[in-house]
Amino acid sequence: MNEYVLEMKGITKTFPGVIALDNVSFGVKKGEVHALVGENGAGKSTLMKILNGVIKANSGEMYLDGTKTNISGVNDAQDKGLSIIFQEFNLINTLSVAENIFLGGLNRPKIVDWRNMRIKAQGLLKSLGFSFDVRRVVGELSTAEKQLVEIAKALSFNSKIIVMDEPTSSLTKSEEKMLFKIIKELKAKGVTIIYISHKLEEIFEICDTVTVLRDGKVIDVNPVSAITKDMIIEKMVGRTVDVEYPKRTILPGEKVMEVKNLYRTKILKNISFDLRKGEILGIAGLVGSGRTELAEAIFGAERFDKGNIKINGKVIKLRSTRDGKANSIGMVTEDRKETGLVLDFSVTNNITITNLNNVTSQRILNSRKEKDVAKRFIEELKIKTPSHKQEVVNLSGGNQQKVVLAKWLFSNADILILDEPTRGIDVGAKYEIYCLMNKLVAEGKSIIMISSELPEVLGMSDRILVMHEGEIKGELLGESASGEDVMQMIIN
Amino acid sequence: MLKIQDIKGKYIANVLRSYGVLIALIIIIIITSIIETNFFTIGNFINIIRQVSIIGIVACGMTFVIISGAFDLSVGSIVSLSGVVAISTINNGGGEALAIIYALLIGVSVGFVNGILISLINGKMGEAFIITYGTQTVVAALALFASGGLFVAGRIKPGIYKSIGKGIVPIVIFIVIAIGMQFILTKTKFGRQMCFIGGNIEAAKMSGIRVVANRTAYFMISGLLAGFAGIVLTSRVISSNPAGGMGFELDAIAAVVVGGTSLLGGNGSIVKTVLGAIILGVMRNALNVLNITAYPQMMVTGVIIILSVSLDILNRKAKEKELANEKL
Ligand SMILES: Nc1ncnc2c1ncn2[C@@H]1O[C@H](COP(=O)(O)OP(=O)(O)OP(=O)(O)O)[C@@H](O)[C@H]1O
Ligand SMILES: [Mg+2]
Repeated sequence: MNEYVLEMKGITKTFPGVIALDNVSFGVKKGEVHALVGENGAGKSTLMKILNGVIKANSGEMYLDGTKTNISGVNDAQDKGLSIIFQEFNLINTLSVAENIFLGGLNRPKIVDWRNMRIKAQGLLKSLGFSFDVRRVVGELSTAEKQLVEIAKALSFNSKIIVMDEPTSSLTKSEEKMLFKIIKELKAKGVTIIYISHKLEEIFEICDTVTVLRDGKVIDVNPVSAITKDMIIEKMVGRTVDVEYPKRTILPGEKVMEVKNLYRTKILKNISFDLRKGEILGIAGLVGSGRTELAEAIFGAERFDKGNIKINGKVIKLRSTRDGKANSIGMVTEDRKETGLVLDFSVTNNITITNLNNVTSQRILNSRKEKDVAKRFIEELKIKTPSHKQEVVNLSGGNQQKVVLAKWLFSNADILILDEPTRGIDVGAKYEIYCLMNKLVAEGKSIIMISSELPEVLGMSDRILVMHEGEIKGELLGESASGEDVMQMIIN
Repeated sequence: MLKIQDIKGKYIANVLRSYGVLIALIIIIIITSIIETNFFTIGNFINIIRQVSIIGIVACGMTFVIISGAFDLSVGSIVSLSGVVAISTINNGGGEALAIIYALLIGVSVGFVNGILISLINGKMGEAFIITYGTQTVVAALALFASGGLFVAGRIKPGIYKSIGKGIVPIVIFIVIAIGMQFILTKTKFGRQMCFIGGNIEAAKMSGIRVVANRTAYFMISGLLAGFAGIVLTSRVISSNPAGGMGFELDAIAAVVVGGTSLLGGNGSIVKTVLGAIILGVMRNALNVLNITAYPQMMVTGVIIILSVSLDILNRKAKEKELANEKL
């Protein structure tokens, strides 16, 4: 067990203006679950991309089972038993489970033996302790099931080392449990797992060893049993940080928004609530409970069949997101790549789009004003980027998330809907975002926060609406509510 | 490990990507000038740009549509129909002003129909292709219907209409339109939103951009310019032909693509399109000067279009690879 199955030595990787990895050495023992943690932009994903041949290091060496190896590309990595499960899956939604498992890679067979393929796929899933119809189309699967398919795919290459990059960031609690069970099973089979996550509690649940990266350097390697969460955080950030939820002193004021009997067939059932000035209203519920749909209806992105929304006492028309914006509503969407950003546009262009009038002079876009705005937010949110002109595609996941936040902060909306605002954001930055939310409400703005992370909702909200199957099951006070209270309401 | 060679290779690839069109243009000019002495003359160049200006005007509108992530195949028949209607209006004593208004109205209306249909169904390239192919066919039929399928000589008296196509006027119009549109594209909110829509339509929608209205506007602009091109064309030849604009849509798309605006959407430039149109014009002229007949000319044009689209696809692949990396 003490053998290193994988060793990366002296890995250095630079991008224009960025040293992503600086002489990193990283070793993983056979059959362990090895956590890789670090702040946003620390270099975790980059290191794993190098391991899997997606990109090449400037310098450094790699050893598999003690022999020096060169990985020439993704296929080569697969041949050598390395695979990676992307945070956004690499599956084809219109194909079946079996096809995805066996036809996804470039090394697909020339002639397909469908029967055999199905049997094999079924076998792989069974080996993970699951059985569902492999003829089902992947698009219909839940996130967790898709992840399962990804894992089965990795196993179909006989992977010895599987990298999971933030696998739980869009899983529900119960799905998370299922994933952990699979990880334990893989481990029992002798598969080695490298596990990246910003949810540090998970590390204590399933990992054996933890490597901390900071600014592209390895800061520390420790067995999980010899370290605490606070120690990990301190090593990640380089100082002690608050992980409590920051307190607010101001109290919510008058009603700014009243939602009455919002109804949309099969999706929203007579939703009524109001939102006050300076309030953070949390919406808790399971994934699929209709929270995002509710938010989209309020923002004007989705229609509703019945009901109305009043802002400052007046019923508003909401035919499009433009109307939402015109009524000073903004929405940070949950999926930054699909709906939040144009990946190949610069940080600047992504931020200013919500309020172009503010960066014009005589209705002509003024690039100096745009630059100033971008620089202000880069500083304020500590967005890690070599320049405001950098395409957001080149930013790390968490820093992209900050750009989405910046974009809506710049819109200067009075009512901000935040759908999973801290997804993929590191612990330190999370605290900063919480402080920012407090600052916004102190300025008289109102926030509706949707989050699957219950502690976050409990810790930040004045009031919490509990949603389930398109319905509001009840309301709790943020101060006194507990996680059990929320779950109780969902069950009832 | 980075090797010098890699860097050099990348550098050359970058230069080719950015300035490939310009380099190609210069090479064509040099070779043809060496072979034919009367090619490299100011007179000939003015001639080329005059020939290019009509397609160029259409291509400017096409650029907007392509940047926003769609296609407009209807422009060729709009050119035909607006020309037919304008000439018959004048011939029937309706007056020049009315002729111009009708021609422009036809363009805007067809564009409106295209735009509203495509944007309401949230159509991408594929849907845009089919729908504008449909309107192309309908409009082409209307042009045949309106003219009885015949050439009509225009009884145009000297005046505004006649001067639109005269001398260097089309060139000036083309340049003014191009400058105006480049300005709109790069310096206004409207242009920025266009790029955003082409870059990620869902993100654009969720940024509070009126996607349906904006997309409709791009098609209306494209139609309007095609209608205007119909005026310039008929003014130049002082007659109308129900198939006068046939194939213009492909030439316009070729100009956009050869110029280097990606069919991927989200990015592009009118300046590039102008260069693309000129390069195609220069090439045709060069082939003419070299006494190469029409059919081989068509083949050469086709090959150039395929080459530019391939280049675009290669670029796109490189980009996709980047995006795929990003998924980690
Ligand atoms: N293709 C690229 N071009 C330029 N810079 C890049 C590129 N890929 C990554 N970087 C930079 O390298 C650094 C490390 O990025 P990486 O994605 O590895 O971070 P990470 O640790 O995975 O962060 P996160 O937790 O936010 O996902 C960042 O500063 C990022 O901006
Ligand atoms: Mg990452």
